[in-house]
Amino acid sequence: MSIQPFTTHNRKTVILIASAVFLTAASPALAHQIEKHFKVEPRSVITIHNPNGKVIVKAWTKSEVMVIASHISDKVEVAAEQTGNRVDLMTHQLADTIAPEDLRADYDVTVPEDAELQIHDDSGEVSVTNVMGDMNVETVAAGVDLEDDAGYLNVKTVGGPFQCLRCAGQIEVTSISGNFRFLDVRSYHVSARTSTGNIRFDGEFLPNGTYRLKNYSGVIEVRFSPGDSFDLHATSLKGKVNNQAQLTPHNHGDRSVPKYGNTLFGTFNAGQAKVELSSFDGTINILKRD
Amino acid sequence: MATIDCKEFLVYLEPWMEGQHHPFAEAHLGECAQCRAMVEDLNQIQVSAQAWGAEEAEPPARLWTSLRAQLVEEGLIREEEVVAETRRSWFHGWFSGRPRLALAGVYLAALIAVAFALSGPVNERINRQRWLAGMEDSTTPVRAHLAKLEQNTTLSPLLDSNPTVTASLHDGLAIVDNHIALCEKSVSEEPDNEMARDFLFDAYQQKAELLAQLSDRGGYGR
Repeated sequence: MSIQPFTTHNRKTVILIASAVFLTAASPALAHQIEKHFKVEPRSVITIHNPNGKVIVKAWTKSEVMVIASHISDKVEVAAEQTGNRVDLMTHQLADTIAPEDLRADYDVTVPEDAELQIHDDSGEVSVTNVMGDMNVETVAAGVDLEDDAGYLNVKTVGGPFQCLRCAGQIEVTSISGNFRFLDVRSYHVSARTSTGNIRFDGEFLPNGTYRLKNYSGVIEVRFSPGDSFDLHATSLKGKVNNQAQLTPHNHGDRSVPKYGNTLFGTFNAGQAKVELSSFDGTINILKRD
Repeated sequence: MATIDCKEFLVYLEPWMEGQHHPFAEAHLGECAQCRAMVEDLNQIQVSAQAWGAEEAEPPARLWTSLRAQLVEEGLIREEEVVAETRRSWFHGWFSGRPRLALAGVYLAALIAVAFALSGPVNERINRQRWLAGMEDSTTPVRAHLAKLEQNTTLSPLLDSNPTVTASLHDGLAIVDNHIALCEKSVSEEPDNEMARDFLFDAYQQKAELLAQLSDRGGYGR
C-alpha cells in the first residue's frame, strides 16, 4: 500500500478533528467563566467567600478590581457585586445536595495595592501577592500563601498550612494543626499559635518588634544571624529547648525562673526585639542561620 | 441571705441571662459592680445579636476593655500585650466577618475570659488546695458550657458537602479535646502552673471556636 501524501485538504481535516476533540475535552473546564471589572476608590474592600477552590489575589497599580472566576458545575454560581467601595465575590451553592467536586470554584482576582481583603475559603488554596492593605483570611483545610504583603495580616486555619514570604507589617496567625513558615519576613509584630503544627521563623527581628510563637506540640524553629538583637524567653513545659545563641542575662532583671518546664531566657546583643517562644510538649530550637 | 463570690456567680450567669434570676445571683449583683457591668455588657450583646439578621453588630468595646483590664489587674497578662493585641483581639475576631456565632458561644467567650481571670491570682502565695479549688470553680462552668454547645452541634459529616472540610474540623476537634484532657491533667497535678493554665484556656477557646464553625456547616454559601 502506498502512503498518501499529506495534502492541504488532509491537513485541514486533521486540524478540524483535533480542534473538535480538544474543545470537547476542554469544554467542561470552561463551562462557566466570568470576567468582571470594578472601578474603586483608594482603600477598597474586597470580600471573597468560597467553599472550595483556588483563590489567587494579586495587586496592580490600577484603581480597579478585575475578577476572573470559573467553575465547572451548574450546581454553583459565582456572584460578583459592588457596593460603594466594596466588592463582594461569593460562590453560591444552588442545590441542597452537591458533590464535593461540584462545589469547586476558582478565583483569580487583581486588586489595587492598598485594597483590604477578607477571604474565606474552606478548602483549596489561598495565595495573596503584593497587597499592602490589611487582610483577614479564614480557611479550614486550605493552605494560605502570602508573598510580599504588608499591613495587618490576620490568618486563621484549622488544618491548612501557612507560609509568609517577605511579608511586612503585623502578622497574626492561628491554626489547630497547620504548619507555619515565616521566611524573610520584616514584620514588627508576629504572633503565631498552632496546636500540633510546626513553626519555622526565618526572618528579621526588627528593633522594638515582638515575636510570639506558640504551639502545643511539634517543633518551633527560630533562625538568627550574628547581627540580630533580641531578648529571648523560651519555655517548653514538657519538651526540650535547644539553643545556639550566646545569651547574656537580662539586664532589666524582670524575669524570674519559672517553676515548671524547661526555660531559657537572656539577651542576644542589645536585646532590641522581644522573642517569646512557648510550647507545651514540643521542641524549641534556636539555631544559627546557615 | 448567704452571699456568693464572683467565681460562684459564674454558675448563675447563664440562667441569669436566660431570665432565671436566682436570689444569690441577685444579691451578688447588688454588691459587685464588676459582675454588674459584665451582665450589662452581655445584655447589650444579646440585644445586638438578636438584630444580627438585619446587620452585623460589634460587641460593646467596653466589654473587651473590662475583661482585659481584669486580666491585667490580676497580673495574668501585661499591659504591653494588651496594647499589641488591642487592634484585633480574639474576641473581636469572633465577631468579625459573617455573623455565625450562636448566642451560647458569645456567653462562652465571655465566660472563658472571665474564668481565666478568676482562676487564681498569680502573685499571691496560696496553697495547692486553694489553687485546685480556684481552678475547679473557674473551669467547671466552662466545661459545662462546652459540653452543652457540643451536644447542640450537629456532627454528621453527611450534612456537609465538603468531606475534606468536615474531616479537618473533626480532626481539629479531636486534637483540641486531647489537649484539653492533657492540660487538665497537668493543671490538676500542678495547679499553680500558669503556663499549663494558659494552654488549657487556649484549648477551651479553640474548642469553642471549632464548635461554632461546626454548627455553622450547611448554611454556608447558600
